[in-house]
Amino acid sequence: MRLYEHEGKKLFADFKIPIPEGKVAASPNEVDSIAKELNKPLVLKSQVLTGGRGKAGGIKLVDNPSDAKKVAEDLFKLKIKGFPVEKLLVEPKLDIKQEIYLGVTIDRLNYKLVVIASAEGGVDIEETAEKSPDKITRRSFDIDEQLYTFDAIGIAKAVGIPSELVKSAASIIINLFKVFKAYDAKLAEINPLVITGDGKLIAADSRISLDDDATFRHPNLAEMGIEKRHEEGEMTPREQQAEEWGIPYLDLDGNIGMFPGGAGFGIMGNDFLHYYGGKPANFMDSGGGPSPERLAKMLVLLDDNPNVKAIFGARFGGISRCDDFAKGVIMFLEDHGLSKPMVCRMTGNMWQEGVRMFAEAKKENPELFKQFEFHGIETPIEEISKRAVELASEAEGGK
Amino acid sequence: MAILVDKNSKIMVQGITGGAGKFHTKRMLEYGTNIVGGTSPGKGGQDVEGKPVYDTVAECVKGTGADTSVIFLPAQFVKEAAIEAIRAGVKFVVVVPEHIPIHDMLLVRKEAMKQNCTVLGGNTAGIITPGEANLGIMPDIAFKPGRVGTVSRSGSITYYIANTLTDSGYGETTCVGLGGDPILGSTFDEILWKFEQDDKTKAVVMTGEIGGVYEERACDTISKMKTPVIVMVGGIFAPLGKRMGHAGAIVEGKMGTAKEKLDALASAGAHPAKTFLDIPKILEKLGV
Repeated sequence: MRLYEHEGKKLFADFKIPIPEGKVAASPNEVDSIAKELNKPLVLKSQVLTGGRGKAGGIKLVDNPSDAKKVAEDLFKLKIKGFPVEKLLVEPKLDIKQEIYLGVTIDRLNYKLVVIASAEGGVDIEETAEKSPDKITRRSFDIDEQLYTFDAIGIAKAVGIPSELVKSAASIIINLFKVFKAYDAKLAEINPLVITGDGKLIAADSRISLDDDATFRHPNLAEMGIEKRHEEGEMTPREQQAEEWGIPYLDLDGNIGMFPGGAGFGIMGNDFLHYYGGKPANFMDSGGGPSPERLAKMLVLLDDNPNVKAIFGARFGGISRCDDFAKGVIMFLEDHGLSKPMVCRMTGNMWQEGVRMFAEAKKENPELFKQFEFHGIETPIEEISKRAVELASEAEGGK
Repeated sequence: MAILVDKNSKIMVQGITGGAGKFHTKRMLEYGTNIVGGTSPGKGGQDVEGKPVYDTVAECVKGTGADTSVIFLPAQFVKEAAIEAIRAGVKFVVVVPEHIPIHDMLLVRKEAMKQNCTVLGGNTAGIITPGEANLGIMPDIAFKPGRVGTVSRSGSITYYIANTLTDSGYGETTCVGLGGDPILGSTFDEILWKFEQDDKTKAVVMTGEIGGVYEERACDTISKMKTPVIVMVGGIFAPLGKRMGHAGAIVEGKMGTAKEKLDALASAGAHPAKTFLDIPKILEKLGV
C-alpha cells in the first residue's frame, strides 16, 4: 500500500526527519486560507498515488500567496494518470541549493535491506542507476542489523554531503531506516532531500510503500487516517466489483474470459491463449478452496463483461475438488445463466463426479447448457485453450 | 532417492490441533507420510490422529526425533514458529500459509542460513516425493514415482506438470513448490542444485513466473548442471506493470519480464517449453 506524500511526511516528522511546514487542503478555499496563514511564496502539490506528478503539471509554484486559490482551482480539475486530484499539499517554496536522493528498499534477490543514495536527486533514480551507476551509493544490511552512525556518515560522505551537514544527514539516514523497519515498509524514499540556500537539510518529498501483509501490526496507521488502499493505478469498475467480492481480478484487453483455478495457471493459461492466436480479457485467481458461491460470482464477472466473447474454464481439482467446482458452475447457470459460449475442463480430484454432475444437470435442463461444453481428463488443456480461441473468434465473426 | 523428503523423514506439524493442521495431518498420513507428532502450545499431552502433541518444537524433536516441520498457522505466527523450528534443529521447514510479512521472511531466511536449514514458502502448496511423503496441501492424484524432478512457485502448475509427466510415463522424483509469496524461503537455484546431486533425478522441469526475482539467479546454476533442465515461464504476454495473482507477481523497475527470464534461462542451457505437452517431447529428445 502506497502512502500519499503528506502521509509519508507525517511518518517522517514522527521520526524527526525535517519536513517543510505544510498543510493539506481539500478545496481552493482551504488552500486560500493556508496560503494567507503561511504568507510567503508557495508550492502546491497534487496528492496522487502515482509518479510523474511534476511532468503532468500537478505541482505549481505560486510566488504571490493571493494567487494560490486560482492556481488550486485548476489543479483540482486535473486527472493525473487517471487519478483525480482530491487533495493538495500546500508548503512554502524551498530555496533549493542541491537535491539528494535517499531511499531504503528490499533486495529480494539477496534477502537484504538496501540504503540507496545519490548526489543527483529529484529525478528518476532508476534512470540514474541505469545510465550512470557510479553516481549511486548502495549499502546492504540484514533485517536485524543496526545501521550505525558511522555507516550513515559513510553514506552521506559517499554522495558528497559537505562536512558541516554530515551529522544531520546521518541522522536523517538512520531515521529513514527506522521508519522503514518500524512500519514494515517495502520502500521509503526521500526524493529529493534538499540542501537549502541557508544550509539546511529538508525532506521535500516522500514516497512510502508498506507491506499489505503486515498492516495488522500497525493499528496506529488507521488512527492517523491512513487506510488500506489500492497499490497503484485506477481500478476499472469490474476490478472494483471483484475486489469487493474478494476475488483477485484484472481487466485485460482481449475477448476470452479466463476462469482458472489458481494464480499459476491463471497466468500460464493466458499465455496458452496467445500461443493459439487468442487474447485473454482478464486475469483471475480463484484462491485456494473456493466455495461454489465464489465460483458463481467469478463467472458473473465474466458473463456480464461485454468484451468477453467466450469463457475458458479450467480446474485441476486438488484440495478444492471438481465436484465443488461443478456445483459452483451449475449454481451460476441456474441463478444467472450463461449468455456466451463457454468451454471448461476438469481434471484431478473427483473430476469424474464433476462431469457426472454436469451431465445430469444438463439432462434436467438442456436449455441452460446450450452454450456450455465440458471436458474431463481425456482432453488436454492445450486443446481446451484452442477451443476457447475458436469459440471467441466465431462469436466475433457472427457479430 | 529424492530431495528434501522421503519415507525416512520424521515429520512434525506446527499447528497440528488447528482446523487446517488436523485436516492435512490426516491426509498426509493417509498417503503414508511419516508424521511423528506436532506442536500446539498449551495442548501438550494431547494427540491428533494418534500422534503426540507437544507444547514446543524442542520437546517434539526430543520426543520423536523430528527433522522436518510443516507449518499450518496463521501468517502472523509464522515468523516465531519457523525460527523456533530452526533453532530446535529441524533441517527442513515447509511454510504453507500465505501473506507472510516480508520483514518476517527476511528474518526467517537469515536464521535458516545460519543453521543450515531449508525453508519452503510462504504460500507453498508443499512438496511431494511420490510414493514416500506428501507435505503440505497437494492432492496426490497427479503424482507417480519416477525420474523427473519439478520446481515451481504455484500449486496448480505443479499439478499440471506432474500430471503430464505421469501420463507420459516419466513420473517424478520430487515435486517442489517454492511458494507464491514475494519473499521465499528457498530459491530456484538452491532446489535445482539439490536435484543435480540426486542420482534418481534424470531431468528437472522448472516453472518461473512473471514478477519473480529468483529465476535469473538460476541461470548460473543451470549452466553448471549436468542434469538437463526444462523451463517454462508464465506471463510471457502479461501487460507490464499489472499485478497478476501471486503477491510477488509484479513487474517492477528493472526486474525481468517473463520473456527476458525465459531467454536468460535458455541461454544458460535450459530447454524452453511453451505448453505442458512440449515437456514429454523434449524429454524424449534428450533421451531421458
